[in-house]
Amino acid sequence: MIIIHDLKKIFENKKKGSVSYKEALKGISFVCKPGEIYGLLGPNGAGKTTTLRCISTLIKPTSGTITVNDYDVIKDDKQVRSIIGFFTSDMKLDGFFTPDYMMDYFGRLNKMTPKAIAERKEVLVKELHMEEFRNKKIDKLSTGMKQKTSIAISLIHNPDIIIFDEPTNGLDVITAKNVTDFLIKYAKEGKTVLISTHIMSVAEQICDRIGILIDGLIKEDGTLQEIIAENRANNLEDVFFKYLEVQDVE
Amino acid sequence: MLSDAYIILKKELKRLFTDKRTVFFMVVLPLVMLPLLYTVMGKISKSRSADIRSYRGTIFMVENQKDSPIYQEFRSIIEEKINAKINEIPESQIGVAKHLIAEKEAELLITFPENMDFAYIAIQPFDVHIYFNGASDYSSYLFRRTQEAIGSLADSLISSRLETLNIPTEILTPVTYNQTITSEEINLAKKGSEIGKAFGTLLPFIIILYLFVSSMQVGIDTVSGEKERGTLAILLVNQVGRVSIIIGKLLAVVCASFASALSSVIGLMIAGRYFLKDLFRSSAEMSEFVLNATQIIQLVVLLIPVAVLLVSLVLICATYARNSKEAAGLVMPLYMLVLIVSIGTSSMGETIPSWMYYTPIVNTVVGIKSVFMKTSAWGNVLIAGISSIVFSGILIYFMIKMFKNEKILFRI
Repeated sequence: MIIIHDLKKIFENKKKGSVSYKEALKGISFVCKPGEIYGLLGPNGAGKTTTLRCISTLIKPTSGTITVNDYDVIKDDKQVRSIIGFFTSDMKLDGFFTPDYMMDYFGRLNKMTPKAIAERKEVLVKELHMEEFRNKKIDKLSTGMKQKTSIAISLIHNPDIIIFDEPTNGLDVITAKNVTDFLIKYAKEGKTVLISTHIMSVAEQICDRIGILIDGLIKEDGTLQEIIAENRANNLEDVFFKYLEVQDVE
Repeated sequence: MLSDAYIILKKELKRLFTDKRTVFFMVVLPLVMLPLLYTVMGKISKSRSADIRSYRGTIFMVENQKDSPIYQEFRSIIEEKINAKINEIPESQIGVAKHLIAEKEAELLITFPENMDFAYIAIQPFDVHIYFNGASDYSSYLFRRTQEAIGSLADSLISSRLETLNIPTEILTPVTYNQTITSEEINLAKKGSEIGKAFGTLLPFIIILYLFVSSMQVGIDTVSGEKERGTLAILLVNQVGRVSIIIGKLLAVVCASFASALSSVIGLMIAGRYFLKDLFRSSAEMSEFVLNATQIIQLVVLLIPVAVLLVSLVLICATYARNSKEAAGLVMPLYMLVLIVSIGTSSMGETIPSWMYYTPIVNTVVGIKSVFMKTSAWGNVLIAGISSIVFSGILIYFMIKMFKNEKILFRI
């Protein structure tokens, strides 16, 4: 379970002798439970990636707390890293290696035995339909294949917590469906799945609960039905644009 | 921690040494290029000097003193010693001759003073004018040879004077040197130390240069490239410690830079067989140059720490930079500095100020030079090695700090 309480993150930017501050997260709180997919929905620059990076121990919160399966991301960062699988669509793997080698590499870095790596690889290759390209150089793969490879290496150690930043970004419909099905399956197995997306349909189709993040603040937090009902809207898009319009006016 | 570093090291080495392009540029190219380059340079240089020597140039001699015995003697010396066509011209043609020399259509003009024979008899010096074109290799060569001919003429005239006075010519040479001993006997340099001196001047800066350049080629991509591609973040959210990441990457870049430097040295050694004698005008043979076990250990003690130091310098820039381009921009001034320091130190004389033994990079260059010249002392070698280790340690400490600093690692 991921519990985020009053999370703030301020970035300091030093340029030409002057210092400016950007408040990326202004005190957000939400909970992502095991067995569900929680979707952070927001436009670019809303703070989605910052939130996921804080949870993944890549960056430290300015204030507030984050616990992942009862481990504090500041005090117990190593334990947190051992139970999370982090993926970002921005990642471009080294084209020189094959997906198979990269899975081995990250498996070893995650302290897995060669036998456990071999078994896990077979599962991931099957689930992500990587049979045809697992031994091809990453350079030769399509965007979708590369994305699947990145997902496979982030989940090689079979983590309890899955954190995916824009998992369907740039993917064709078939590959995107493969990835979302994959996430649903993992949630059903009892894993905690947290994703960020700016694609409305992804949030609607696969997220059990959604947090609408606008300008560093969670504006809505609930199931799709709850959010639509509370806002007396027809769909998620209406709610989303309502907040965007308010933001523009402000 | 070390097992993680080893996993990263293995992956990085696989990346470097199974990529044909990288292996070609880092290992094969210096190994092939240096012998090829120097062999071609040597051949061109040899063929050029042979061409200059065999070229039959034109020497204009002004014929106003044609009947003078001194003129006749000088002409016969030139004909005997210099491969040139002699054109005797009247005084009125001096201007034309000068023009032809300036246009590189002729090589030399020699004019003689009118009172040359009288001056000789009156024991007064007379001045012969030799005009040449400094921009022409052929003209410059004939000028030098004609200077020698003037010397021969002077010797001959002095001998004639002495004979007239019934004085033996030996009076002019009361002392000679090395006439009764062979050149092999007079040179007391240790076997191989002449070649060592030549290598000592050339190799230290080439080794440092290759260590740094290959560190740049590999190190920048290993850290900045990973930052840019977003793969460093993935490494950081795994269970691997940041120190392990740094050690793994650092050792991989050290291995790569070492391989490159080693292949360049081997390439240079091969090239040495062909060009060294011409370049350094040494009479010694390459086969005389052999390093003993102690000297090889001393080289290792000098080179491993300095490789770590140079790689740390590159990686610290690569860690700070947002992308490979920025990293290259940050490394370049350091590269220039290291280059200037290395070249400057390589060409220094044999007296080394003591502060140099404590200054990183400078002390390694001095140390390598002394090993090649077979004058190395363990104390200085150890000081150089330890100083490089200390400075590397400081840099690695800062690199670890930087790796733990999100403001640096995720600079935007």
